[in-house]
Amino acid sequence: MAEITEKLHSGSTAFHDEVGDHGHHDDHHHDDNFITKYIFSTDHKMIAKQFLITGILSGIVGIALSGLFRLQLAYPDTAFPFLESILGKWAPGGNLDPSFYLSLVTMHGTIMVFFVLTAGLSGTFSNFLIPLQVGARDMASGFMNMLSYWFFFASTVVMFSSFFVETGPAGGGWTIYPPLSALPQAMPGSGMGMTLWIVAMVFFIVSGLLGGINYVTTVLNLRTQGMSMDRLPLSIWAFFLTAIIVVLSFPVLFAACLLLTFDRLMGTSFYLSDIYIAGELLHHAGGSPVLFQHLFWFLGHPEVYIVLLPALGISSEVISINSRKPIFGYKAMIGSMVGIAVLSFIVWAHHMFVTGMNPFLGTVFMLFTLIIAVPSAIKAFNYITTLWRGNIRFTTAMLFAIGLVSFFITGGITGIFLGNAALDIPLHDTYFVIAHFHLVMGSAAAFGLFAGVYHWFPKMYGKMMNPRLGYIHFWMTFISLYCVFFPMHFMGMGGVARHYYAFTAFDFMSGFVDLQKFITFSAYFGMVGQLIFLYNFFGSIFWGKKAPLNPWKANTLEWTTPINPGHGNWVGAIPAVYRWPYDYSKPGLKEDYAPQHIPDEELEYEEGFQPPRPVPIERPAPKKKPEVEPSSEAETKEEA
Amino acid sequence: MESQTLVNLIIFLLGFVFILVLVNMVLVFRLKDIDPFRKWNPTTINATLFMLFLIFGLIAAYVSTGNYEHLFSLVNDPASLHGVEIDKMFWNTMYVTILVVVLTNSLLFYYAFRYRQREGQKALYYPHNNKLELIWTIVPAVVMTILIASGVQTWHDVMQEAPEDAIEIEFYARQFDWTIRYQGEDKTFGQTHVKYIDPDMGNQLGFNFEDQAGHDDVVVTEIHVPVNTPIKMNIRSQDVLHSATLAHFRVKMDAVPGMPTSFWFVPTVTTKQMREKKNNPDFDYEMSCQQICGGGHWNMRRVLIVETQEEYEEWLNKQTPFYASYKEMNGIEDGSTNTASEEVPETTANEDELAAVVN
Repeated sequence: MAEITEKLHSGSTAFHDEVGDHGHHDDHHHDDNFITKYIFSTDHKMIAKQFLITGILSGIVGIALSGLFRLQLAYPDTAFPFLESILGKWAPGGNLDPSFYLSLVTMHGTIMVFFVLTAGLSGTFSNFLIPLQVGARDMASGFMNMLSYWFFFASTVVMFSSFFVETGPAGGGWTIYPPLSALPQAMPGSGMGMTLWIVAMVFFIVSGLLGGINYVTTVLNLRTQGMSMDRLPLSIWAFFLTAIIVVLSFPVLFAACLLLTFDRLMGTSFYLSDIYIAGELLHHAGGSPVLFQHLFWFLGHPEVYIVLLPALGISSEVISINSRKPIFGYKAMIGSMVGIAVLSFIVWAHHMFVTGMNPFLGTVFMLFTLIIAVPSAIKAFNYITTLWRGNIRFTTAMLFAIGLVSFFITGGITGIFLGNAALDIPLHDTYFVIAHFHLVMGSAAAFGLFAGVYHWFPKMYGKMMNPRLGYIHFWMTFISLYCVFFPMHFMGMGGVARHYYAFTAFDFMSGFVDLQKFITFSAYFGMVGQLIFLYNFFGSIFWGKKAPLNPWKANTLEWTTPINPGHGNWVGAIPAVYRWPYDYSKPGLKEDYAPQHIPDEELEYEEGFQPPRPVPIERPAPKKKPEVEPSSEAETKEEA
Repeated sequence: MESQTLVNLIIFLLGFVFILVLVNMVLVFRLKDIDPFRKWNPTTINATLFMLFLIFGLIAAYVSTGNYEHLFSLVNDPASLHGVEIDKMFWNTMYVTILVVVLTNSLLFYYAFRYRQREGQKALYYPHNNKLELIWTIVPAVVMTILIASGVQTWHDVMQEAPEDAIEIEFYARQFDWTIRYQGEDKTFGQTHVKYIDPDMGNQLGFNFEDQAGHDDVVVTEIHVPVNTPIKMNIRSQDVLHSATLAHFRVKMDAVPGMPTSFWFVPTVTTKQMREKKNNPDFDYEMSCQQICGGGHWNMRRVLIVETQEEYEEWLNKQTPFYASYKEMNGIEDGSTNTASEEVPETTANEDELAAVVN
């Protein structure tokens, strides 16, 4: 430990004031220039903020896209001239072009799943919390961490640039099934836009791997003294398992994309066979489109848990802290997350029951898929039990965490229908699926993101967010998301197909037009709520109330750092850890929390309570943490 | 229309004024340092809102289900033999899940309300209880096992080989329509391959006319099937993925280029019966594509008519084999002529063989 600390002290320039400006004290950040502090930063906290802001900006685009196609779905026959003025040839006469409609849903899916809920959620909070909560000065490799962000940034740039190519962005659905995605003749969205999609995704995979390896290494190697694996906060367990899933599954998407690129550009036939399209017979023979689906979903399904697990980890933390109760069944929570992580790799083909795959495989995958409901159920029950007989504080983060549990239950349970191969025959590719994954993956994960932002905002920016605006944001979002996605179950049960530009062509689908309008208005209502969030978020960065040291009275280590921690997080030694992170309302204690870094003998006990006898092992005397900006002086002194 | 515009304008203006007033109030309160909501207790408000959300949510879900139930054609009124099984399982699962969702959500929101922070209240230190955790591991596991067992059973019933006496019909997909082919009198499909496709000659399906078996094949755009007879769908695609979906029959299978797929079912309700049942004289069974396939994906409609055996035979006898009309159209006297140029490689001759390999 000491070795690592020393290495960090001597190895990284970012910790040091190279100028040697030791003589006098000033409040400025003096050890970084603008570029190394805000742009090519290797500080995990800054990288986390970069991920967060990029994620939020991507989210604005992704949600705006859904605003466009929701308009089309609610008013399939109405022309909106303003669409032509913003979209030009993609909305001739104010009606969306059907191919561009598909591009919109494709980009909405891609942006939300990968940029917002993977990078924006896992990228932000893994980066921010892993070193702070395990007690490390930074990630194992700050440089790789920086690369991770910049590859992600490059990915977003390439992806968004595809809106400006002549044939428009990718349009084959976020699952980019070939042959549709492989053949530019098949639709405009399969031209240049698709190439850019693949390039962007390759950058994204690189980013994910660089980040993932870093997270795993940091959790395994850089935990502070006393922080054994069974003392890790559940958030860290979630990020850790997520990172493992990322490292194991994303390379397969890379392989899939590589082969797709060969098919697209070099005339190979991995996925293509016997095709006659646009008046032309193609030479491809012997490939299988189903092969791509196997490769894609080998990532695609774990991806669902890559999105969901961090949200569950964050909510575990937030719910426990604000119920003032230990999370119920800590070990069961870890066990179920491990179970989910393992099972997530062997359920992928439940997306493919009716794609012509051998029906026997369907049986196997149905088995594993339904088993995954068991650890999920454990988690839901444990959340509810944590609330039971708590002393619940409704911080904004807590509201979002409770909302998350509700979405997790309501959306997750329809997985029992869809994971059942026989029921999937009718339900596959209907709005039932849309409802399912938007609730369990989209809404739940988004709520995890919001809970995390509201909860750790004081640590990120040293300011508090406005709770009242937070409440309004929560209720608008919560109500709107239920109003948007719950009725989609009805449409699913009516057989309404997804990816449909309009439902007017089919008698059995056309009865839902008024419901579509309701959904669209609910969605717009929710979008207005997001404006409140944006105002609250960016406004509070500048004008928020100054945050206290430990605003939520939490046990975890991040609240032992100064209010605006510098690079290196702790001034002086990293605190050692003496207990698990969930000792809330422990009988006998005066306070209703017991921070991880305070040894038993230093806690304040109620009168007449016999405190546990100190365990006779040697541990370093805990240091008093000064509430000032961290300065390299202190560290240098210590070194000396 | 004009009054509509006016109403919209008024709503817009009202909204705008409302926002202005709101902004104004915020500014004034901030300037005067007044907190108009000082006496509001956020804990009580949020806790109460959770309870209200639960109650209104349940009512809304119940009422809206009633409103839309008549449109649930994917889970009610099955028109096929296996559809009855699937629907039964769907509703059984639905009852279990509704119970679980209502119960857990109620507990969640009720606990949030009941245990909201109050003076002098202390949380219970209750980190775990192995017995409880065991219960809610085992109970879902048992329920899942039951669901898996019945699911596997139904899945196998649906996916088993079609019976020998099934009527085979080919569903041929392309961007963006379906073409339907019947076997004709010889009960055999003539050989087809994308290599033979020649739209100029009208050979859209890619018939190899060297194969005599294809000469009596019937090609149509409206599907007719006799009631209570097994129907085997042979599904193929010439370009991208499509999905042959017959929602009312709980039928869905992707059309995969280069890999013929199939699905079989037994229609049990004729179109006429269903029209009476739904009390809708215009009702038709509709076939759609449910795998994203391009700009026209939403518009690949075909009508399927279920009729009695006699009606079906009568209809079928009226159809002319495709080859006859092909010859007529192109002025071909006799013999079999392939127009598309290339030789067919031996390997692609037997598509079933290919399918077996791919599978």
